[in-house]
Amino acid sequence: MYVPSAVTKQTEIDAAVNRVQQIVGPDVVRIRYEIAEDWSGQWAIFFRVVLTDDAAGRRLRDIATKVVWELARQLDFPGMGVFPYHNFRSESEQAALREPAWA
Amino acid sequence: MRRAVSTAYYAVFHLLVEDFVGSWPFADQRARLARMFDHKKMRDAAFTPKDEKNPTPIETALIDVRTAFRQLQEDRHRADYDLSWNIVATDVTNAITLAEDTFSKWCSIRTEDVARHHLLSMFGAKPLRL
Repeated sequence: MYVPSAVTKQTEIDAAVNRVQQIVGPDVVRIRYEIAEDWSGQWAIFFRVVLTDDAAGRRLRDIATKVVWELARQLDFPGMGVFPYHNFRSESEQAALREPAWA
Repeated sequence: MRRAVSTAYYAVFHLLVEDFVGSWPFADQRARLARMFDHKKMRDAAFTPKDEKNPTPIETALIDVRTAFRQLQEDRHRADYDLSWNIVATDVTNAITLAEDTFSKWCSIRTEDVARHHLLSMFGAKPLRL
Protein backbone atom coordinates (compact mmCIF):
# COMPACT_ATOMS: atom_id res chain seq x y z
CA MET A 1 0.00 0.00 0.00
CA TYR A 2 1.32 3.44 -0.96
CA VAL A 3 1.96 5.76 1.98
CA PRO A 4 3.05 9.35 1.29
CA SER A 5 6.38 10.53 2.66
CA ALA A 6 4.49 13.17 4.69
CA VAL A 7 3.70 10.39 7.16
CA THR A 8 7.39 10.10 8.06
CA LYS A 9 7.94 13.86 8.12
CA GLN A 10 5.69 14.84 10.98
CA THR A 11 8.51 16.47 12.97
CA GLU A 12 9.25 18.67 9.98
CA ILE A 13 5.56 19.46 9.55
CA ASP A 14 5.17 20.30 13.26
CA ALA A 15 8.13 22.70 13.07
CA ALA A 16 6.72 24.38 9.96
CA VAL A 17 3.29 24.72 11.57
CA ASN A 18 4.89 26.41 14.59
CA ARG A 19 6.75 28.81 12.31
CA VAL A 20 3.56 29.67 10.45
CA GLN A 21 1.77 30.40 13.73
CA GLN A 22 4.56 32.77 14.70
CA ILE A 23 4.54 34.50 11.31
CA VAL A 24 0.77 34.92 11.09
CA GLY A 25 0.50 36.03 14.70
CA PRO A 26 -2.13 35.97 17.42
CA ASP A 27 -5.12 35.73 15.03
CA VAL A 28 -4.28 32.02 14.80
CA VAL A 29 -5.01 30.19 18.05
CA ARG A 30 -3.70 26.82 16.88
CA ILE A 31 -3.21 24.64 13.82
CA ARG A 32 -3.82 20.90 13.86
CA TYR A 33 -3.46 18.53 10.95
CA GLU A 34 -4.17 15.00 9.83
CA ILE A 35 -2.76 12.99 6.93
CA ALA A 36 -5.49 10.95 5.30
CA GLU A 37 -7.16 10.23 1.98
CA ASP A 38 -9.54 12.73 0.44
CA TRP A 39 -12.93 11.89 -1.08
CA SER A 40 -11.34 10.38 -4.18
CA GLY A 41 -8.77 8.29 -2.31
CA GLN A 42 -5.80 10.59 -2.95
CA TRP A 43 -3.49 11.34 -0.05
CA ALA A 44 -3.93 14.71 1.53
CA ILE A 45 -3.04 16.74 4.57
CA PHE A 46 -6.05 18.32 6.25
CA PHE A 47 -5.20 21.42 8.27
CA ARG A 48 -7.64 22.50 10.96
CA VAL A 49 -7.05 26.11 11.90
CA VAL A 50 -8.67 27.68 14.95
CA LEU A 51 -8.85 31.47 14.72
CA THR A 52 -9.79 34.08 17.28
CA ASP A 53 -13.45 35.09 17.04
CA ASP A 54 -12.40 38.53 15.84
CA ALA A 55 -10.20 37.15 13.05
CA ALA A 56 -12.82 34.60 11.95
CA GLY A 57 -15.58 37.21 11.98
CA ARG A 58 -13.84 40.22 10.47
CA ARG A 59 -10.72 39.16 8.59
CA LEU A 60 -11.32 35.56 7.57
CA ARG A 61 -10.26 35.84 3.91
CA ASP A 62 -7.08 37.76 4.70
CA ILE A 63 -6.00 35.45 7.52
CA ALA A 64 -6.99 32.29 5.64
CA THR A 65 -4.99 33.40 2.59
CA LYS A 66 -1.99 34.17 4.78
CA VAL A 67 -2.13 30.80 6.55
CA VAL A 68 -2.55 28.87 3.28
CA TRP A 69 0.26 30.79 1.59
CA GLU A 70 2.68 30.47 4.53
CA LEU A 71 2.08 26.73 4.91
CA ALA A 72 2.74 26.28 1.19
CA ARG A 73 5.92 28.35 1.50
CA GLN A 74 7.19 26.30 4.44
CA LEU A 75 6.25 22.82 3.25
CA ASP A 76 6.81 21.01 -0.06
CA PHE A 77 3.42 19.33 -0.37
CA PRO A 78 3.97 17.79 -3.83
CA GLY A 79 7.33 16.44 -2.61
CA MET A 80 5.58 14.90 0.40
CA GLY A 81 2.97 13.27 -1.82
CA VAL A 82 -0.02 15.11 -0.38
CA PHE A 83 -2.41 17.86 -1.39
CA PRO A 84 -3.23 20.39 1.35
CA TYR A 85 -6.78 21.20 2.44
CA HIS A 86 -7.55 23.89 4.99
CA ASN A 87 -10.57 24.37 7.21
CA PHE A 88 -11.10 27.18 9.67
CA ARG A 89 -13.29 27.75 12.68
CA SER A 90 -13.48 30.32 15.43
CA GLU A 91 -12.60 29.74 19.07
CA SER A 92 -16.23 30.02 20.11
CA GLU A 93 -17.37 27.56 17.42
CA GLN A 94 -14.81 25.04 18.67
CA ALA A 95 -15.77 25.75 22.29
CA ALA A 96 -19.37 24.83 21.44
CA LEU A 97 -18.44 21.67 19.51
CA ARG A 98 -15.46 20.54 21.62
CA GLU A 99 -14.09 18.33 18.85
CA PRO A 100 -10.87 16.61 19.96
CA ALA A 101 -9.39 16.81 16.43
CA TRP A 102 -9.49 20.60 16.69
CA ALA A 103 -8.38 20.87 20.34
CA MET B 1 -25.11 25.59 5.69
CA ARG B 2 -24.31 22.39 3.79
CA ARG B 3 -26.27 23.62 0.79
CA ALA B 4 -24.34 26.91 0.81
CA VAL B 5 -20.96 25.14 0.78
CA SER B 6 -22.15 22.88 -2.04
CA THR B 7 -23.46 25.84 -4.02
CA ALA B 8 -20.17 27.73 -3.65
CA TYR B 9 -18.41 24.84 -5.39
CA TYR B 10 -20.99 24.52 -8.14
CA ALA B 11 -20.81 28.27 -8.82
CA VAL B 12 -17.12 27.89 -9.66
CA PHE B 13 -17.70 24.61 -11.51
CA HIS B 14 -20.33 26.23 -13.75
CA LEU B 15 -18.21 29.35 -14.24
CA LEU B 16 -15.44 27.22 -15.75
CA VAL B 17 -17.69 24.88 -17.71
CA GLU B 18 -19.77 27.71 -19.17
CA ASP B 19 -16.62 29.55 -20.15
CA PHE B 20 -15.52 26.49 -22.11
CA VAL B 21 -18.80 25.58 -23.77
CA GLY B 22 -19.61 29.24 -24.52
CA SER B 23 -16.95 29.10 -27.24
CA TRP B 24 -18.54 26.07 -28.90
CA PRO B 25 -20.13 27.37 -32.09
CA PHE B 26 -23.23 25.16 -32.01
CA ALA B 27 -25.49 26.60 -29.33
CA ASP B 28 -27.84 23.61 -29.35
CA GLN B 29 -24.95 21.28 -28.37
CA ARG B 30 -23.57 23.33 -25.46
CA ALA B 31 -25.60 21.66 -22.71
CA ARG B 32 -24.49 18.20 -23.89
CA LEU B 33 -20.89 19.35 -24.07
CA ALA B 34 -21.13 20.76 -20.53
CA ARG B 35 -22.31 17.40 -19.22
CA MET B 36 -19.09 15.80 -20.48
CA PHE B 37 -17.06 17.64 -17.83
CA ASP B 38 -15.95 15.31 -15.07
CA HIS B 39 -15.37 16.66 -11.55
CA LYS B 40 -12.32 14.50 -10.88
CA LYS B 41 -10.68 15.22 -14.25
CA MET B 42 -11.24 18.93 -13.68
CA ARG B 43 -9.65 18.70 -10.27
CA ASP B 44 -6.69 16.66 -11.44
CA ALA B 45 -5.83 18.76 -14.48
CA ALA B 46 -2.14 19.41 -14.11
CA PHE B 47 -0.50 22.78 -14.41
CA THR B 48 3.15 23.67 -13.91
CA PRO B 49 4.48 27.22 -14.39
CA LYS B 50 7.36 27.67 -16.83
CA ASP B 51 9.62 28.69 -13.95
CA GLU B 52 8.30 26.78 -10.94
CA LYS B 53 10.19 28.91 -8.45
CA ASN B 54 9.16 32.17 -10.03
CA PRO B 55 5.67 31.98 -11.55
CA THR B 56 4.27 34.99 -13.38
CA PRO B 57 1.27 36.84 -11.86
CA ILE B 58 -1.00 35.11 -14.41
CA GLU B 59 0.39 31.69 -13.53
CA THR B 60 0.02 32.49 -9.82
CA ALA B 61 -3.63 33.40 -10.35
CA LEU B 62 -4.18 30.14 -12.24
CA ILE B 63 -2.52 28.14 -9.45
CA ASP B 64 -4.84 29.90 -6.97
CA VAL B 65 -7.89 29.03 -9.09
CA ARG B 66 -6.79 25.40 -9.34
CA THR B 67 -6.10 25.14 -5.59
CA ALA B 68 -9.38 26.81 -4.66
CA PHE B 69 -11.32 24.54 -7.04
CA ARG B 70 -9.89 21.49 -5.31
CA GLN B 71 -10.59 22.84 -1.81
CA LEU B 72 -14.16 23.78 -2.75
CA GLN B 73 -14.71 20.37 -4.33
CA GLU B 74 -13.52 18.55 -1.21
CA ASP B 75 -15.71 20.74 1.01
CA ARG B 76 -18.65 20.19 -1.32
CA HIS B 77 -18.19 16.45 -1.09
CA ARG B 78 -18.08 16.55 2.68
CA ALA B 79 -21.08 18.90 2.81
CA ASP B 80 -23.16 16.60 0.63
CA TYR B 81 -22.07 13.18 1.92
CA ASP B 82 -20.21 13.34 5.25
CA LEU B 83 -22.84 13.58 7.94
CA SER B 84 -20.17 13.45 10.65
CA TRP B 85 -18.84 16.85 9.54
CA ASN B 86 -19.79 19.44 12.13
CA ILE B 87 -20.09 22.31 9.72
CA VAL B 88 -19.88 25.82 11.21
CA ALA B 89 -20.63 29.32 9.96
CA THR B 90 -16.92 29.94 9.32
CA ASP B 91 -16.89 27.02 6.84
CA VAL B 92 -19.70 28.70 4.91
CA THR B 93 -18.12 32.15 4.94
CA ASN B 94 -14.82 30.68 3.87
CA ALA B 95 -16.36 28.72 0.99
CA ILE B 96 -18.31 31.73 -0.28
CA THR B 97 -15.39 34.15 -0.09
CA LEU B 98 -13.09 31.57 -1.67
CA ALA B 99 -15.56 31.14 -4.53
CA GLU B 100 -15.88 34.93 -4.95
CA ASP B 101 -12.12 35.28 -4.99
CA THR B 102 -11.89 32.48 -7.58
CA PHE B 103 -14.46 34.22 -9.80
CA SER B 104 -12.46 37.39 -9.71
CA LYS B 105 -9.12 35.67 -10.39
CA TRP B 106 -10.51 33.56 -13.23
CA CYS B 107 -12.18 36.56 -14.87
CA SER B 108 -8.88 38.42 -14.77
CA ILE B 109 -6.98 35.64 -16.61
CA ARG B 110 -9.64 33.79 -18.62
CA THR B 111 -8.48 35.10 -22.00
CA GLU B 112 -4.82 34.33 -21.36
CA ASP B 113 -3.21 31.37 -23.18
CA VAL B 114 -2.33 29.49 -19.98
CA ALA B 115 -5.89 29.78 -18.70
CA ARG B 116 -7.45 28.64 -21.99
CA HIS B 117 -5.09 25.69 -22.20
CA HIS B 118 -5.79 24.78 -18.57
CA LEU B 119 -9.52 24.83 -19.24
CA LEU B 120 -8.93 22.36 -22.08
CA SER B 121 -6.92 20.19 -19.64
CA MET B 122 -9.86 20.33 -17.22
CA PHE B 123 -12.01 18.97 -20.02
CA GLY B 124 -9.63 16.02 -20.32
CA ALA B 125 -6.90 17.06 -22.78
CA LYS B 126 -3.27 16.33 -21.97
CA PRO B 127 -1.54 19.37 -20.46
CA LEU B 128 0.43 21.53 -22.87
CA ARG B 129 3.82 22.98 -21.94
CA LEU B 130 3.74 26.57 -23.23
